[in-house]
Order: sequence, then structure tokens, then C-alpha cells
Amino acid sequence: MRIYTDLALMDGVVAAGEYSWRGDRYSYKGRLSDEMARMASIMCRATTLSTHMQSDILCTNINSKDCPFNESHGWIVRGPQFSVCVMANVFCFVENQPDALNRVFAFMRERLMDAEELV
Amino acid sequence: MSSLDKLMNLEGADAAFEFSPTGELTDHRLAEGSKLKSESLDLLAHTFVANIAIATMQARGWESSTGQGGFYPVQGFTLVGLEFSTVGNGECGVVLRNDSADFEAAYAALGS
Amino acid sequence: MIKRLLALDGVMAVCSFRDDGELVEGYGVLEESTMRRMAKFSHDYKRMVQGNTDQFSMFTGLSGWAPPGGWIVRGARTSVCSVGNLVCFIDNAEASLNEVMSDMTEVSRY
Repeated sequence: MRIYTDLALMDGVVAAGEYSWRGDRYSYKGRLSDEMARMASIMCRATTLSTHMQSDILCTNINSKDCPFNESHGWIVRGPQFSVCVMANVFCFVENQPDALNRVFAFMRERLMDAEELV
Repeated sequence: MSSLDKLMNLEGADAAFEFSPTGELTDHRLAEGSKLKSESLDLLAHTFVANIAIATMQARGWESSTGQGGFYPVQGFTLVGLEFSTVGNGECGVVLRNDSADFEAAYAALGS
Repeated sequence: MIKRLLALDGVMAVCSFRDDGELVEGYGVLEESTMRRMAKFSHDYKRMVQGNTDQFSMFTGLSGWAPPGGWIVRGARTSVCSVGNLVCFIDNAEASLNEVMSDMTEVSRY
């Protein structure tokens, strides 16, 4: 089982997937069309690249080993009904139901926090 | 209790901060022993403004392209580091320890 | 070859970078360490702009935007502009942005 297939089975998860760092391949499972998964991969990859740059700049500026965001491991964006949680190259669309985001984050943190850049 | 003090009451809170609509730091609190400085919080505030703007563009594009709603208006962004995460919405943000972070409580405290 | 860009009015520094963000060569008023940071920033910024133009093309269906040709970040007194894997640090009061972008486009093809 891939991490995204495990994620897709969790309560409150709409869909989960992973994308290649070059941006040309993706896999997913859940309630998304193939085109939506392709778009989600492009969007998540773009934001991940941005957060890597931001954490680099942040930690260069803080200029110390104490920088808490050295380096960016992921990000979450919150909408009124859904949240998107991304770690390494794995993305997860989560419904905003009680505790779903915390469970998804805990699972992704356990499985992906130590990932190099690519799962 | 001020909104910053409420944010500092979240479990594992290391810092809480307020910023202008363009990301300049206007007020902040630091937990005892925090290694963060106001300059770092100012950068995090600008990070929120930038990412929420990009996420809003994505939500608008996604919703008009797919017909699937539920992402707009964006109600917050979180940057995840190795040990800490920072959660922001509107003109406030909080830095939390990952091992005890309750993101839903943080978003609720931020009015998301 | 990129050194010729320094001859343009207002160009204070120029550097080229690899696809992993490492500095290849740099000339001008910046110190080596700053030049390395500019190369890394420009590489990251290039990827970010690529991501944004990809999304714009995807959402609008418009052609002619991706891949992006370059980018400019305009500050109060200085700007950073890039084409391909080249980046210039310029003085706004002295430099002609059009001239710099045009010459960078030409040099980036060599």
C-alpha cells in the first residue's frame, strides 16, 4: 500500500494522491476525477516549491541552527468546507469535520516527516 | 483576554502574532524559552499574506474549473516545519509544536 | 559571455546558476556569498514563477504563458530580473529594464 492509498481510506478524507517532483506524473485515490487530480498535483507542487523557498529565506534570515522552519516539510490550506494537507509529495483533501485534519496530519507526520523530498 | 493571549493558551504555543494586511508585524507574544524573535515573526506574517493570496488564486481557479466549491474564501494557511508549525488566518498567526499541535483548535481560535 | 551584461548602465551584478540553484559564475559588486544566495533565490523564484504560470495556463486555457520567459522583482531603488538561468541585480535609476531584459534574453541563448 502506498501512503496515499492508506490516507484515502481514512474517515473525512475526500481523496489523496502523490505527484512526481518534475510534475509530469501523479497517482491518486478517492473522490476526484483524473483531471481534478492532475490539477491538484500541479497546484500542490507549485505551493510546495514556494514554501521551500520561503523556509530557505526565513532560515537564512534567522541565521541560526534554531530556525524552527528549517526546512519546510509541508503545508495546510483551510477552506470553508475542505482543507488540503500536503507533506513531501503527498497531498490529501480533507473534509472539515471534527478531528479529521488532526488525524490526517498525525498520520502524515508519522509517515512522511522524515521523508527526503520524494516518497 | 486579547486574541494573542487566547492563541498563546493553545497547547504547545511558542508564539502568537498580529500583522497588517500587507504582512508587517504589529504585535506579538513569545512563550518563555522561545527561540523566535520579532524579526522572524515578521517574515512568517509575510509568508501568510503571500500564501493566502496564492491559495485564493488556486481556490478561485479550482472552483471555476471543476465546479467543486468549499475552498473559497480561504480561511487560513499552515507552514509545517520539522518540530514546529505556524498557523495563520486574517491578521493573526500562531506557532505550535508539532508533537502537541491541535490544528482545528488553532483554526477555530483564528476564526476560520 | 555573461560579463558583457555588466557593461549595461545600472547593472550592478550578474550571475548564472545551474538547475539545482548552484552558482556557475558571477560578476559585479556583490560578494561571493551574496552572489551564491542570489543564485539560489533566483533558482527558487524561477520555479515558483513556473508554478504560477502553469496554474494560470491550466485555469484559463490560454497559451503563450508557460513556460515563462523570465521575471522581474521591482524594489524601491533596485530590482532583480532574470531570464533563463541568468539573473541581474540592477539600479532602477540607472538601468533601462527593457535593455537589460533584451540583452539577457540574447545572452541566455548562448
